[in-house]
Amino acid sequence: MKVFSNTCSFNYSWEEVSAANWQKYCPWNEKSTHVTAVDTLSRRVDEETGILRTERLITCKQSVPEWLKSVIGCTDTSQVLEVSYVNPTEKTVTMVSQNITWANLVRVQETVIYRPLSATQTQFEQAARITALCGGWQRIKNSIEDSLVSRFKENAMKGKEGFECVLEMSRRVFAEERERERLRSQGKMMV
Amino acid sequence: MSASLAPECNEVKERYDTCFLKWYSEKYLRGNGKADNNECSKLFENYQKCLKVALEERGIDKLLAEAREDNKENDAIHMKRK
Repeated sequence: MKVFSNTCSFNYSWEEVSAANWQKYCPWNEKSTHVTAVDTLSRRVDEETGILRTERLITCKQSVPEWLKSVIGCTDTSQVLEVSYVNPTEKTVTMVSQNITWANLVRVQETVIYRPLSATQTQFEQAARITALCGGWQRIKNSIEDSLVSRFKENAMKGKEGFECVLEMSRRVFAEERERERLRSQGKMMV
Repeated sequence: MSASLAPECNEVKERYDTCFLKWYSEKYLRGNGKADNNECSKLFENYQKCLKVALEERGIDKLLAEAREDNKENDAIHMKRK
């Protein structure tokens, strides 16, 4: 098993980050073109705790290393189940993702937590555990795990840049929306 | 807004996503949103009707069932159930 972890922060409030998080993989994010679809599978609010639990299916088109293609007999599409928990009292968003494609060969489980650092800053904490399951050769297991760890490293940087774009755009759109509402209510008062 | 894995579901998905995002920032984060029977429920139902067929056709429903089984312990941790 190999572990990858990464922490960074965003200069946006937790509320902004948690809302923009639902749109992380949209056309505003030019760095995540490998995500081709995001589907919501279930969603509910727990009555007791107020926690919003969501299941999403993320579809990716990944360029898989050539040597790995020959091992797994490849398809270019892979899918991930992401279960997220928004805790409005503690102000945390926790997302646990696991691969459903090639799940009998390798198990990747990633946990991401967003929590406020201050009123205007949010911390992003990411940890992934990668375990190759194929029996036998330790060398092959190691190369599969290493290859996925370096993929995580590459994507972490791109992920931050891409999400920054989404945050900026959604702040702009929200501001425009508020302005429209303000004008609308002003208009009403004039009449 | 991101696409659906099934192009035929894109339209119903987009309608639901837009509704949800508004509900999330305007109601849920302000402490007055319930997830059942809200303004987006009907749209969610329509989207799920379309998506369910697509997941079955692609055999993804079976893979999901296995993954959900693995995720049970995370639910116990993150739903804060006693």
